[in-house]
Amino acid sequence: MKRWVAGSLSIALLGTMLAACSSNNDKNSGSSNTGNNGSNASEQPAEATTYPIKTDKTLSYWGEINGQLIGVKESHKDIPFFQEWQKVTGVPLEFTEPPTGQVKEAFNVMLASGKLPDMVEYNFIGDFPGGPEKAIQDGYIVKLNDLIDKYAPNLKKYLQDNPDIDKMVKTDSGSYYAFPFIRGDEYLRVFQGPIIRKDWLDELGLPVPETIDDWTAALTAFKEKKGAAAPLTFNSKPRFFNDGGNGAFMGAFGVTRGFYQEDGKVVFGPEQAGYKEYLALFRDWYSKGLIDKNIATADTKSVDGNIASGATGASIGNAGGGIGKWQPLVEAKDPKAVLVGAPYPVLKKGDTPKFGQHNTAYASEGTVAITTQAKDPELAVKMLDFGYSVEGGLFFNFGTEGVSYNMKDGYPTYTDLLLKNPDKLAPAQAISLYARGSYNGPFVQDKRYAEQFFALQTQRDAVSTWQKTDAAKYQLPPITPSPEESSEYAAIMNDVNTLIDEMSLKIILGTEPVDAFDKYVEKMKSLNLDRAIEIQQAALDRYNSR
Amino acid sequence: MGTKNRYIRDFKLNKLLYLMMLPVLAYYIIFHYIPMYGALIAFKDYSPMKGILGSDWVGLKHFHDFFSSYYFTRILKNTLVISLYSLIFEFPAPILLALLINEVRNRTFKRVAQTITYMPYFISLVVICGIITDFTNADGIINRLFMLFGYDGQAMLQKPELFRPIYILSEIWQRIGWESIIYIAALMSIDQEQYEAARMDGASRLKQIFYITLPGILPTITIMFILRMGNMLNVGFEKIILLYNPVTYNTADVISSFVYRKGLLEFGWSYSSAVGLFNSVVNLALLVTANYISRKVNKSSLW
Repeated sequence: MKRWVAGSLSIALLGTMLAACSSNNDKNSGSSNTGNNGSNASEQPAEATTYPIKTDKTLSYWGEINGQLIGVKESHKDIPFFQEWQKVTGVPLEFTEPPTGQVKEAFNVMLASGKLPDMVEYNFIGDFPGGPEKAIQDGYIVKLNDLIDKYAPNLKKYLQDNPDIDKMVKTDSGSYYAFPFIRGDEYLRVFQGPIIRKDWLDELGLPVPETIDDWTAALTAFKEKKGAAAPLTFNSKPRFFNDGGNGAFMGAFGVTRGFYQEDGKVVFGPEQAGYKEYLALFRDWYSKGLIDKNIATADTKSVDGNIASGATGASIGNAGGGIGKWQPLVEAKDPKAVLVGAPYPVLKKGDTPKFGQHNTAYASEGTVAITTQAKDPELAVKMLDFGYSVEGGLFFNFGTEGVSYNMKDGYPTYTDLLLKNPDKLAPAQAISLYARGSYNGPFVQDKRYAEQFFALQTQRDAVSTWQKTDAAKYQLPPITPSPEESSEYAAIMNDVNTLIDEMSLKIILGTEPVDAFDKYVEKMKSLNLDRAIEIQQAALDRYNSR
Repeated sequence: MGTKNRYIRDFKLNKLLYLMMLPVLAYYIIFHYIPMYGALIAFKDYSPMKGILGSDWVGLKHFHDFFSSYYFTRILKNTLVISLYSLIFEFPAPILLALLINEVRNRTFKRVAQTITYMPYFISLVVICGIITDFTNADGIINRLFMLFGYDGQAMLQKPELFRPIYILSEIWQRIGWESIIYIAALMSIDQEQYEAARMDGASRLKQIFYITLPGILPTITIMFILRMGNMLNVGFEKIILLYNPVTYNTADVISSFVYRKGLLEFGWSYSSAVGLFNSVVNLALLVTANYISRKVNKSSLW
């Protein structure tokens, strides 16, 4: 009997066993931390650090490997950029990398273990329930205000020069919590939108679609005349709105899948009447076979496959990871094939789209925080500050001079090692080996990266096409609920999001009538959606008064 | 007084046996009983930095949140229904297979059949689910077969009513061979003379199965059944998560996948522990009940 009791209970408690081993950690971390701060305080402040720093300490670093490098490199220590980063800053690093795509789960387990590395690269606004303020309050990461003042002159100067970005990278109470990733130019903030086969359109005598009606005509023609089995498809994993949530198609009806603001008021898209119209449109398209039949289970692999085989003529994707990846695939089958970016659809020709993908200058991914268990926070800060210096900026965006880029008339130019890689790596992959310009990290992204990274004219055109939206006016800045409200907010939104995913797909796939929408909106209300909007509104108000 | 003496005498007599038992006892105490105090976090707002004892007490808040959750009835129902289906359809499958293999006279065929049927067990679940997704796609192999008979191809994983059959059938396919091993082993231990006697008396092979084979492995079946009862609420989340999507939440969302979404992704350690504890208590109750009934009815039980 005992055995079975223990057995069944212990299965349930597996998770807690991990936690059990770590109960005395708080004491250690507290003491080691104050010890360090004490000794640091005696040193002199605010002077530019000379790199490489002379140190015999090794710092530990926790962070995801860029998805582009899956199958290319397994560990940070094998990636030239990270080897070089240690050399130029002089600080040896020991890396831990969570499985790509499971960062949140891995982070969760790491926190529960109670053993934290010195630095963690993590999205504290998007992926930490409760946001950065709570992460500081719960004692995982340290507030960086004093440390930045004393040891990070480069970042400090950048933030002083850019007060609007400064406002984004701190919390409501004015705490700095991470070394931010900043998209240094408006040009870098838009990179995703509808993509369509231009060669098919030309052949069929159709224009690049602008209105929803144009789209219906184009997709119908793709299906009937080009034999496309799934004229429109897009990635639905892990969520149905993974790529379509920020305004492609539904933006025409004036809504997105999430929160946005109108005249300073927070609005939730899926409860608006426009969302119902969007569902009705997609339902219609689906029943006519204009949308992939497997849309609920479509992942990047199946989307790639459909585009390559010519079963699909339109999708939603990035200039780099979409057009850049798919253009060679479609060309392989049909040399004349061309993919172009189409404008975000509108209802009336000539209107400016209300929504489209648009990131704020600081979107909180790729930021690096220092944990409460850091052995030497001062050294970590000095090291991370490198990315915001002039040399550091070049290094992060372009890599090492003479290897991955050359200065031509003061313009850092990627070498062929990156753009025409001898090992047949795509530019996006090769750049991620030598630099971080193509994704993110603790530095300011340089426009000159994108000018070269988008090797095809169609990619550059796509970005300028997608930029023509009013999204910047309606999108929310990086806001977070207060730590007190965060779990209430999370609990509500968890249920609401489940409900919306379910409702949207059921209505689109025809399992339920369009009018079921109204019933669902009532359900959202009964799940206390209004309270969640109230919390978001308060967060926005706090942000505006920062 | 008498019992005490008996214990002392017994201990003296079997000193070595008791000594050999010590490591096992220590193992259970250290790895299974001591960690149980971690279950405390189900009643607290656990924060790793504060530790288990340092976190704040919240009483039954997490249980209350779970029971009053909007989706509670749906996930409980789905969990029970999927468990029940697998009890009805998946549990007897390996027994049938074992009986069939037992009846085969050709030894080579027997071995080959056994090996082939238990192979799928070793394939990673992720791969299995990839195969299932591909096969059940609108243009997947299964739909192509149906199309030959004039049906229209539909993505089967987008049909809520098909989720459970797909789940159970693939489960049978993957586990049937592996789970039949224990029954085949039990069949080996049946006294062959009984069969000879039955044949002398003119019993047909079907009769032999019903009156010799089945009663012979009944204790094994009972034990397996009781163990199964102890897992009623544990429908694993991996397979569910790999196969479901919002359209099928209605029939597919179970306690563990709900907890995965809520607990792991929202960092709700305490909440997940509360649900885990609830699961364990219900499972334990079912196990004890099944065991009790089995002991009364057919005299074979776990304890």
